[in-house]
Amino acid sequence: MKSKWFTLLSIMVLFSLLAACGGGGGSTANTGNTGSAGESPGNGAAEAPSGGEGVTTVQFWHSLGGKNGEYMDALIQRFNESHEDIEVVGTFQGSYDETVTKLQQAIASGTGPDVSMLERAYVQMFADAEVLEDLTPYLEQSGISADDFTPGLMGHSYFNDKLVSLPLNRSTPILHVNKTLLDELGLSVPTTWEEMKEVANALVVKEGNEFKRYGVSMPYDTWYPIAMISQAGGTFFNEDNTSIGFGDNGAGEKVFSYLKDLQSTGALYYPPAQDSGNIVNSMFVEGKVGMIFQSTGSIGGLASTVDFDYVTAFLPKDEVHANPTGGANVTLLSSSKNKDAAWEFIRWMEMEEEGGLEFILQSGYLPFTKQMVESAKMQELWAKEPNRKVAYDQLEFAVDTNKDVAWPEIMHEFFSAIEAIMYDSKDIPSTLDTFKKETERILAQ
Amino acid sequence: MISTSLQTLRETMAFPPTWIPASPQWGNFVEAMNAGPFLTYFKNSVVVTGSILILQFLVMIPAAYAFAKYKFPGKTVLFGMILLAFMIPGQVTFIPVYLMMAEWGLVKTLLPQVIPFVSNAFGIFLLRQYFMQIPEEIIEAARLDNASEFNIMRKIMIPMSGPALATIALFSFVSHWNDYFWPLVMTDSAEVRPLTLGIAMLRETEGISNWHIIMAGNVMLVVPILLVYLFCSKHIVKAFVYSGIK
Repeated sequence: MKSKWFTLLSIMVLFSLLAACGGGGGSTANTGNTGSAGESPGNGAAEAPSGGEGVTTVQFWHSLGGKNGEYMDALIQRFNESHEDIEVVGTFQGSYDETVTKLQQAIASGTGPDVSMLERAYVQMFADAEVLEDLTPYLEQSGISADDFTPGLMGHSYFNDKLVSLPLNRSTPILHVNKTLLDELGLSVPTTWEEMKEVANALVVKEGNEFKRYGVSMPYDTWYPIAMISQAGGTFFNEDNTSIGFGDNGAGEKVFSYLKDLQSTGALYYPPAQDSGNIVNSMFVEGKVGMIFQSTGSIGGLASTVDFDYVTAFLPKDEVHANPTGGANVTLLSSSKNKDAAWEFIRWMEMEEEGGLEFILQSGYLPFTKQMVESAKMQELWAKEPNRKVAYDQLEFAVDTNKDVAWPEIMHEFFSAIEAIMYDSKDIPSTLDTFKKETERILAQ
Repeated sequence: MISTSLQTLRETMAFPPTWIPASPQWGNFVEAMNAGPFLTYFKNSVVVTGSILILQFLVMIPAAYAFAKYKFPGKTVLFGMILLAFMIPGQVTFIPVYLMMAEWGLVKTLLPQVIPFVSNAFGIFLLRQYFMQIPEEIIEAARLDNASEFNIMRKIMIPMSGPALATIALFSFVSHWNDYFWPLVMTDSAEVRPLTLGIAMLRETEGISNWHIIMAGNVMLVVPILLVYLFCSKHIVKAFVYSGIK
């Protein structure tokens, strides 16, 4: 009886011993704020305030995991090796949304970082809260012009004429095509909605009541409907941001009835909401669907896993070519105490050859300066992998129509509308009408 | 999960899924391990969950004993407050707690992951119910023999409530070992983060998720839970066998 509990207790004591010798170093250094020894290189440096040994520490928060996270770590390491007086500490803060949550509470409590990655759609919200530094003077001071950046990616960088963020890991949706399947059926890659409808229907294989192959698919996201709304001549918000810009001109109805029409014949597979991106990717890899709308971020992964002829193409146009952009920007926070060092990091990452360019080449995100585009390395890569160039070329048609402080809130309502139409086959005009009213209510606040 | 952790990326995407990997990819584990300071993450997880367990027991047992066997003014009100405490989800309290921790300069340490969990309302409640079943006579007898209250707890209450304690320990361990949200919002640097956040870092932000690597990480996360479960379940059974007085 007794011995049993002593075993349990002794194990606990063991835990606490571990706690004492393991965590002790870190926590005592913190409470005592001695900041002297710093045996663990990362922690020790992070603790030391900017004065110690003339090294300024810059905290950088990002949302990159997996391979892209490793490329980002490598970038930070390259920076630290080339800068003796600045140490950048990069910390992964979860997904884009989780990073936003973290930033909100950290800024409020004065423990925010110096530099942060911010998903482009949230830039407006933080800029409105006046926590982002205006970068214009810094650009001037370093002799950089805003024209040096890829124009299609600057849509979310301005707020009230202030430049509050610069593009970093940016992507855009494109059409990924299983060329082998299309060739077998003698089809060419669609460039318009009409052609896409024909091709997608031709790809459908149905046995009994079961679809063995679908024509086209896209992840459950607002990105793709927004692209199509712009292609059909609508905008997400109207000009003075008081309502939606695709209700009265019929663009919204056109998009969703087009999608429902495709869905009814199996030409469109609309995936379940949970994990839709992965589902769509794996169906594409397995040849269960011939074409997908998907981010440029998938090119590298798809190219290395598929065993068929894989090409990318512009999103098909309706009235016009149009596509939104995605990914994240980099921002300098007003609360930073080391703005000069933080700016040096941003400048280096944006402009220097061994900075962002290397990261872009590795990760497959879009090149964000003209200098990068013209660089020999980029041109070489594009010659080797033309699939990647397609995405950059498409930026000519980049639009940013979902720009508003209230976008994150409206996004949830838009998701509900998409669900109602795509999953529950609710009446399109009345669903969009409800969404319009809801949007107007939120925008009026 | 174990199967996926040994597959190649191509295999993880196959539909229908394959169960037995064609050739086990042990390298996935190495790759997962190399993706970050996993030893540090593991150590942090052990330290945090271990400390929570110890501190919880130190607080919970006397509290439950007091609620079960003492009469004092305000007892029902206090107990009601404890019941209320375990109905409030962590998502509601994290902002005030974070602000408090930031004020005290603790966000770069392990402490914010431990302090809020020192009192375990559910545990106090469960243990109180269990203590109440233990006959008053045994305690009276011990008091007549001049046993101190501490000794009564140690020699009578604890041994007789083995199953309850093992259950609470298991629940508490599993929930804190697997916790993702709380450590994420409470910590600002990689050095103090637990294994769950390390695994999350394996996930791709955009593009194709490397499920085989993620699953290799998950296997590392789950194995300790299985070990603790095996250990605890043995004790739960034993405790049932030995607790004779009813």
